[in-house]
Amino acid sequence: MRFFIIFILSFHTSYVNADEIYNLLKIPNLEVYKLKNDNKIRYLNAKSDFKIGVDDNISCNQASELNLENKFPIIEKHLNLYNSKFLNKIKLKYVVLCQNLFISEINTGGIPDTKKRTLILDIDFNEKYFERMIHHEIFHMIQNSHKNNFNEQVFSNFNSSNFSYAECSTCSDRLNLDLYKNTNGFLTEYSKSIPSEDMAEIFSFLMTDKNKINEIIQNDKILKDKVEFMISELKKIDQNIL
Amino acid sequence: MIKTIKASLSEKILFIFLICLGIFALSSFFLLKNKCLFVDKIDLKKIDFKNPENIAVMNVECGNVVIELFPNISPNAVERFKILIEKGSYDGSAFYKVVENTLIQAGDLEFGNKEYLDYSKIGSGKSGLGLLQSELDDEFEFTEGSVGFARSTEFNSEDSEFFITLKEIPIYQGEYTPLGKVIYGLDILGKIKTGNKAIYVLRPDYINTFKMLNSN
Repeated sequence: MRFFIIFILSFHTSYVNADEIYNLLKIPNLEVYKLKNDNKIRYLNAKSDFKIGVDDNISCNQASELNLENKFPIIEKHLNLYNSKFLNKIKLKYVVLCQNLFISEINTGGIPDTKKRTLILDIDFNEKYFERMIHHEIFHMIQNSHKNNFNEQVFSNFNSSNFSYAECSTCSDRLNLDLYKNTNGFLTEYSKSIPSEDMAEIFSFLMTDKNKINEIIQNDKILKDKVEFMISELKKIDQNIL
Repeated sequence: MIKTIKASLSEKILFIFLICLGIFALSSFFLLKNKCLFVDKIDLKKIDFKNPENIAVMNVECGNVVIELFPNISPNAVERFKILIEKGSYDGSAFYKVVENTLIQAGDLEFGNKEYLDYSKIGSGKSGLGLLQSELDDEFEFTEGSVGFARSTEFNSEDSEFFITLKEIPIYQGEYTPLGKVIYGLDILGKIKTGNKAIYVLRPDYINTFKMLNSN
């Protein structure tokens, strides 16, 4: 029996290199990219590919130096919009930078994990939406840590009665991230997938192009109600975030 | 009649060389096997400690490691640590998690003891005293020899496991409850058996005894 346990254990322990960051975040193959920041966010990058999660369903590749050099200033600029107090409230401390992020074989821009206070970001994500994607993922951390503020049923009631969201964000083909010319209650096609993605899309536009949103909601009652709901709930968490 | 043949000079030299080589190989084997050979031994009686009530002495295979505890930084954690030390709870505890030249971890009182080592549960053992709130200090730097209370992925889950850093780990600042600092015997900790880049150590080294200085 003892030999059997040792045999099994040798398989369990040999595939991942233990280091101090793995010990802390349970994500292998990371190194420190930048530690000292005003808002206390700690940036890490993947020095080689990694797989985590149930049955290794989350995978991401090593971040290339060139890509890091190009994307890091953008990421830092946008994350600097959040102060340390707010980040503490939404449980975000670590940002992991890697490329080709997949969850269950679906490419994604980011994966938030409030339990580990970590946001994994794909620095190779479509440049057109890259900056907005950062805030989109941040919203998921806001919602995960403040579920009562962003009640999905309350939010869904703003829509017209004949509209229904999909069962889940990945089981819908509503994936386009371009801003609609005629919004009709939704900023993008992806907004129509599920309530939390709808909220995340609104938040991401509020953080990147608030003037445009203010302009759009003048002629869109549903969207106006949604935006006002979002702003009102966000102010309960932090007065100055928007 | 048997004719005796005298060994030539070169044969004599070769013979002596082979004997020397044998002696060298044999002595090297025993010297290299003794990992504690070049470790400095500490004589506790010769050291004048400023705060003897906060000095803990951990005895491991290669000698004594002296730790100064910091109750001013994390009073509840240090109090718990002292209670467990004074009860002798850490005696026989396995250094089951060792990252080479980086950190060592021990203190699973339930599943990580010399008397009972359960690899399937190690790291999840409890002291029976309940979990503690994290006492984080953003100013405390985890440098070489820092001692911290280990926890699960969530805060406020400190119990009995502790780790000692073998190098500076800036990312741990503000993440773990500081307990103290190794003031003597850091080189001894460098001799603790590692997991050869794996997370857990098979057939680990153990703490022989862990006592407060005053109780010695």
